[in-house]
Amino acid sequence: MTTLALAPRLDLTHAEQALTAIRACEGQPLVLDAGGVTHLGGLGLQILLAAARSWRAAGLALTISPRSPAFEEALSLFGLPLDALQSEGAAWA
Amino acid sequence: MATDPMAQIRASFFVECEELLESLQDSLSALQDGSSDSETVNTVFRAVHSIKGGAGAFGLDALVAFAHRYETVLDALRAGRLEVTPDAVRSFFQAADLLQDHVRAAHDGTPAPEGAEAVLCALETLIGGPAEPEASPGFQPVPFAFEPIPLALDFDAPDDLPAPARWIIRFRPADALYASGNEPLHLLRALAALGAAEVRCDTSDVPALEALRPDAALLSWRITLPGEIAEEELREVFDFVEDVCTLEIGREAEAAGARPPAPAIVAPQAVTSVARPPAVAEAPAEPAPPPGPVERRATPRETAATVRVDLDRIDRLVNLVGELVINQAMLAQSVAEAGLPPNSAVMTGLEAFMMLTRDLQDSVMMIRAQPVKPLFQRMARIVREASTAVGKEVRLHTEGEATEVDKTVIERLAEPLTHMIRNAVDHGLETPELRLAAGKAAEGVISLSAQHRSGRIVIEVADDGAGINRPKVREIALARGLIPADAALTDAEIDALLFLPGFSTASQVSALSGRGVGMDVVRQAIQSLGGRVTIQSAPGQGTRFSISLPLTLAVLDGMVVSVADETLVVPLASILETATLAEGDIRALGPQTNVIHLRGAFVPLYDLGAELGYRAPKPSYEGGIVLLTAQEDGSRAALIVDAIHEQRQVVIKGLQQAYGRIPGVAAATILGNGRIALILDTADLVQTATGRTRIRPLALAG
Repeated sequence: MTTLALAPRLDLTHAEQALTAIRACEGQPLVLDAGGVTHLGGLGLQILLAAARSWRAAGLALTISPRSPAFEEALSLFGLPLDALQSEGAAWA
Repeated sequence: MATDPMAQIRASFFVECEELLESLQDSLSALQDGSSDSETVNTVFRAVHSIKGGAGAFGLDALVAFAHRYETVLDALRAGRLEVTPDAVRSFFQAADLLQDHVRAAHDGTPAPEGAEAVLCALETLIGGPAEPEASPGFQPVPFAFEPIPLALDFDAPDDLPAPARWIIRFRPADALYASGNEPLHLLRALAALGAAEVRCDTSDVPALEALRPDAALLSWRITLPGEIAEEELREVFDFVEDVCTLEIGREAEAAGARPPAPAIVAPQAVTSVARPPAVAEAPAEPAPPPGPVERRATPRETAATVRVDLDRIDRLVNLVGELVINQAMLAQSVAEAGLPPNSAVMTGLEAFMMLTRDLQDSVMMIRAQPVKPLFQRMARIVREASTAVGKEVRLHTEGEATEVDKTVIERLAEPLTHMIRNAVDHGLETPELRLAAGKAAEGVISLSAQHRSGRIVIEVADDGAGINRPKVREIALARGLIPADAALTDAEIDALLFLPGFSTASQVSALSGRGVGMDVVRQAIQSLGGRVTIQSAPGQGTRFSISLPLTLAVLDGMVVSVADETLVVPLASILETATLAEGDIRALGPQTNVIHLRGAFVPLYDLGAELGYRAPKPSYEGGIVLLTAQEDGSRAALIVDAIHEQRQVVIKGLQQAYGRIPGVAAATILGNGRIALILDTADLVQTATGRTRIRPLALAG
């Protein structure tokens, strides 16, 4: 399973990079390492949501682990459950 | 993307900060002058609050922390819990100065300035204790302190309603929200800090990864908050993003039917559809206008449409226009030489062309012109710091802040002006005790003014101190061997001694009630700008320094004259009048000098040709043409020329880089015929002139 570490700041400046990086991993189960994320902005969140959508459509697993406290806090402020950003993949479907 | 968008936003944030700091200074000055109306207090508060808000978005924690504590004290002022006393205003000024340092430090990435804690503590003692620490470093709305104003929609709701209906906020960022460096996360966090927030995120617009644009705003939120929260608090959260998002703030109950006519509040979905509402319904073009009086609202910063342009580009444009002017002069000359009739189409066309060039040139110069206000505000700070250092009470009075001068002039004026202001505080003004003894108010006044006067800008620094102690100045000049012991000096000449290099050292002058610390440096700096500085002083009443500068360093209006077959340009600003000498006008004075008699007054006569070394003095000047020039100090001089050709605008080409400073010559220009002509600095010329206008009679010489 491929693991991709996310940049510390997922905001305007780094959104494009993050998007490119995740796109490059398409077509395989993926684990996103959000352990080093200090700031998850709205644009970063959109990318993760879009990724979950794509991975779900492909029937592949997308997991975000580990997750930094900042990541968890941002998620709850944004009013989203973790599940919204993950895909369980075909095996569990 | 070629450039980092964040860096650009950051840069514009700091530009904005400068503007906010400027308005902060303005309003504090207004407070100091006794206008403590809510508008002024609000502007002060707003400025600090906005800086804090912006700083939060960039994670400038030190700046946020400082601004927050400052703001808390200002909030007390706004709420009327704090009186505007001179002490309070002084503390506010100090804090404003430090805030500026903090902004600079944040801008340059240098460590936060020292001494912040002391100033903040002094501030906080005003309200009786430290403020609560900033809860979220990012952003925290500060409640408005206005009396709650009953909203129109309350009229049919009973006052004793146990719990007001919950707030429903619909918030959809536009692309521009992200692009301007704002972050919904901070806004949501600020809302959560107000009360138990129930947040629902609508993700229906987010496409699959392939179709996602990284900078598109696709999410929207629906936030439910307890109804007890004041609407102002909610609106404040969105203060900085109002124009870059779609925002609806309404109460839950309103949707039930008893909704007042508030057109922009699209409420039905707010309660009825728990599922994702259609995206169309939640995108009204404008954010909901807030009900209630206007002054409750954040006055949006007045953004005059501006473009920021690299200075290099402007300089290139200025240069090009200069070349155009020269070229046009050459063209005019060839047309004139071709002998066309004066009202031929070519001539009239050329005239129109000349006027256009002139307009073009004026407009280009205006681009470079800036008001002196920021410079004056820096001086206000110098006054505060210097007066605290020497224990004097000083008040700075400024005038003509809107006067515009070339940017380069402003930049290069800062240092000499700082020097002069420090001198005025340190040496110009007496100590409070001495002032009281002299029957003056304990508080000294320094006035700083700028005005346009006949094509130049005149900046004056005046104090109401004791004036220059002339006997003492003379004594020092003697002791230092700057003047001979028997020199008979006029008051003005004694004053001018202060500008001599080596006149004083700090220890010598501190004992004086006069001044002189590095005044030669001041004069040099001003001269290098093509300016002059003069002193006027009255014992017991004060001293006034006047700096006269050209408005621009690029063009000037001049009179083209010829002397001994050389073409010269005399700045028009220095010429009072021109005259032809008649027989009785010339009177001999001294062995080699003449004066001319002009309407009952005598004016020294100088022969330009002789002074510049083009020729020996002529035997007779009868029938000669003179230019009557005036200096800044009001003295006059008559310059003999052979012929006056025309009056025209010339492009200044500096000589100093290539040749150093030439006495009497300010710069050079290129004329229409391609020749180079020197531009004279008449005041300087007259200062060093010999005045020889007569050939020594042979009998005496031999």
